[in-house]
Amino acid sequence: MDTDNSTAVAETSEDSTPTTAKSSDSVVIETRNLSKIYRDFWGRKKVHALKSLDIEVRPGEIFGLLGPNGSGKSTTIKLILGLLFPTSGRVLVFDQDASETRKNERIGYLPEESYLYKFLTAEETLDFYGRLFDLSAAERRDRVKQLIELVGLQGAKHRQLKEYSKGMTRRVGLAQALINDPDLILLDEPTTGLDPIGTREMKDLVLGLRDRGKTVLLCSHQLADVQDVCDRVAILHQGELKELGRVSDLLKVQDVTEVHATGLDDAAKAEIAEVIARHGGKLESIDNPTATMEDLFLNIVRESEARPGARRVSQSAEANDAASGSSSDGDQA
Amino acid sequence: MNLQLDDFWSFYEWFFRPGAFLESAALKGIVLGVLGIVLGLVVGYVISSSRYGSGEGFFAVARAVRDLFRFDLPGTRIRRIVALARLAFKEAIRRKVLYVVGLFVVLLLLAGWYLNPQSDDPARLYISFVLTATNYLVLALALFISAFSLPEDIKNKTLYTIVTKPVRATEIVLGRMLGFVAMGTVILVPMGLLSYLFVTRGLDHTHAEVADVRELASGGFEGETDYTRFHSHHFELNEDGEGVTDMVRGHRHVVTKNADGSFRVGRPQGALRARVPSYGSLVFRDRSGNLQEEGIDVGNERLAGGYGSAGIARLIGVAHGTRKIEHGYVEGGGLGTAEYTFSGVTKDRYGSSIPVDLSLRAYRSYKGNIEKGIRGSITMKHPSKPIESNPIGFTVNEYEVDQKFLPIEVEGTNGNKTEMLNVFEDLVDEKGRMTIVVRCLDDSQYLGMTPASVYLRPTDHSFAWNLAKAYMSIWLQMTMVTAFGVMFSTFLTGPVAMVATAVCVLLGFSAEQVYDTRHYIDAGIERGGGPIESMVRLLKQDAMTTQLDVDTVAAKVIKTADAGIVYTLDAIATALPNLPKMVNTAEFAASGFDIFGALLARHAVATLGYVLFAFLISYFTLKAREIAA
Repeated sequence: MDTDNSTAVAETSEDSTPTTAKSSDSVVIETRNLSKIYRDFWGRKKVHALKSLDIEVRPGEIFGLLGPNGSGKSTTIKLILGLLFPTSGRVLVFDQDASETRKNERIGYLPEESYLYKFLTAEETLDFYGRLFDLSAAERRDRVKQLIELVGLQGAKHRQLKEYSKGMTRRVGLAQALINDPDLILLDEPTTGLDPIGTREMKDLVLGLRDRGKTVLLCSHQLADVQDVCDRVAILHQGELKELGRVSDLLKVQDVTEVHATGLDDAAKAEIAEVIARHGGKLESIDNPTATMEDLFLNIVRESEARPGARRVSQSAEANDAASGSSSDGDQA
Repeated sequence: MNLQLDDFWSFYEWFFRPGAFLESAALKGIVLGVLGIVLGLVVGYVISSSRYGSGEGFFAVARAVRDLFRFDLPGTRIRRIVALARLAFKEAIRRKVLYVVGLFVVLLLLAGWYLNPQSDDPARLYISFVLTATNYLVLALALFISAFSLPEDIKNKTLYTIVTKPVRATEIVLGRMLGFVAMGTVILVPMGLLSYLFVTRGLDHTHAEVADVRELASGGFEGETDYTRFHSHHFELNEDGEGVTDMVRGHRHVVTKNADGSFRVGRPQGALRARVPSYGSLVFRDRSGNLQEEGIDVGNERLAGGYGSAGIARLIGVAHGTRKIEHGYVEGGGLGTAEYTFSGVTKDRYGSSIPVDLSLRAYRSYKGNIEKGIRGSITMKHPSKPIESNPIGFTVNEYEVDQKFLPIEVEGTNGNKTEMLNVFEDLVDEKGRMTIVVRCLDDSQYLGMTPASVYLRPTDHSFAWNLAKAYMSIWLQMTMVTAFGVMFSTFLTGPVAMVATAVCVLLGFSAEQVYDTRHYIDAGIERGGGPIESMVRLLKQDAMTTQLDVDTVAAKVIKTADAGIVYTLDAIATALPNLPKMVNTAEFAASGFDIFGALLARHAVATLGYVLFAFLISYFTLKAREIAA
């Protein structure tokens, strides 16, 4: 894809913050020349996981970290959380060093896989994490109830997590990340293991968090998800920052024009092609757009929920045909 | 039960050792603390300077120390500790640790297979069995659950979701320790109750029949009970038909004559008890009547040991020689005596008679009358004035506690007059002290005693409470092992942490042997030497008291290396908690002695000290390590 390369590593434009920043927190996360080298027991260098990373995450934005496996996304998140110590450079979170425990008061973290205690129920889990924030019993009760509703686990809140499906565990994981109503939420691969509905809900939830003024940092290789929700992304490869900028800028193809219209017949389409040719443009394709598999799937499920028992064989078969060409759910880039 | 020097110390004496501060627990605590801090700083500096460079490393260490006092200790919240402790507790339950109680029940059920029913002292057997079983089961359990938990949490990454909350390292450490200690408590309580039931029910019996009852000329009766549980009693009743049997296997029964002429034998008494002894100070007199510090040594080889009570003083080579209290002997026939001076002999404490217990040893220099025991006598005497009662004779019952009651009104001599004396008025001085003089009556035979051999027994405490105290001692040991396990698990993987803790426990248990070896090396006594020399001797099949039979240079090398090893082991063993002393409280309970409050307080303070030490080490290692690495 042809991207605008003007937004390079050292992007400094100030206009990109979607909401006005609080004066004290003009930057939520700042990494300065952050490097991490993994060493073995004898101190010999094993992997140079992160090389001189400089990023700033601003209040109220959704920041995406992208990259293939092993590109340093998780390392970055762990450095931000203080789970790892930088080999050189610094991480500041809310202007405090990442190794400070107190910063965690304002942070919510959803790990790559939900590392939760399998012998606790959802309710116990959330109550436990609530206690870790020193919340009072009444506060905990309210938050737990609220969050269980938010992630839709009312029916399963008394079951032990070991009986949960992956998606359900993921939801509990998300709920525990939100137990303290954090200002900064770090999501490590938030949509893995979720079904399309869960993915959609997760994305809506992330957008909802931003609307409430929260800052979100997520890392993912589900490109479609990143495209849908992120304001800015950083693309990492082999520990190096390759690209950083606003999603809309990065994805805008400068010399391609897109026209959406309905009710045109073939004659009208031919006419449009003519017009394009007259202006010296080159028509690349004129076609019926295909819906994404995600849209199709969500439509079917919503329909089925609205009218249980009914079947839309013909329509769905048709839609399947249309969608089969381009699976935009984009599991892998 | 032979008490050692430090058993007599009060809490204050143990902690400060007035006059011998080098031996004190306080000094040991201070040295350990300082050593811990210095070592911690050095290790911390080495680690962080390898990570950040030498200048930055210094700041990193300084920051860690500052963080502890500025943020982490003030930021520590009870609610978080409790939450983490509850989690550790639940996790332990999930690991089915309660099965240990089940295992204990099985042990009790099968006890009949290996507890000797013909034992002379079934109470000791039963009590020491339940306490030993509990002790080892619970220590092993503490070892397992404490060493594996944290590494498991790091491996499963469940710790990620915890340390990314505002949880202080202090809370993680304390939460674990508390959770496991709570777990151990939950296990110990039912084990304690079961033990109590097992011991009381196990010893309970009665004798249904009586045999050979004869009417005495004085109007009473005497007879024998039937043979139940491998023993029978002889009893004597007064004319009202009431009386008691003799002591057999540590207990006696009350026997009453019913109206219809039959006899009723009551439940066993005296088997389960907690004597509260009042010990006196002991001096000896030799055959010419001269005062001596120690009694006669009858040639029992002086055993090494008791070094542990010398604390740091021994480690730095200031205290020498054995500190084990041995029996001193009194010769019969001459003027030889052993004189115990007791304080606090008042009417309030003793009332109508003074109970005195003797556990003496006899040493025969010739066969004598083999049918009879060696005879001795007790005289009550004023500590400074020449007033004393007439001697009260007895025959020595070796290896048993011989219980006597000294009368308050007793015939005796005041200067040259013979008159009736009242103990409290005539024999006790103004400070409430009274001397008891023990003599051997048989010519050239000897009676052996230690300061713990003769004591007054103002009162008994309840056995249940004593057993509870023995369990508290086990609880303290468990707490200590848990703290060590958690400490090691902050920087080692589970199995390694467990082995490290186990090594500490074992080294703690064999500390005295290490001290012995060190003593032999220091004193140049050939007793097999250190580990390398012992190995050489084993391979060459040489006796351990001979000269090491290798050439001079080799011997020099071996001995030098051995000394290095033994000194190192000695330093480590001195630093470790004195577990054998703590386990020894079981011996108190089994022998029917009240576990002194001071003893328990000492163990509690020592435990607290070591837990604090382990807590600090754990805190810093947890702070310094990358959780996600």
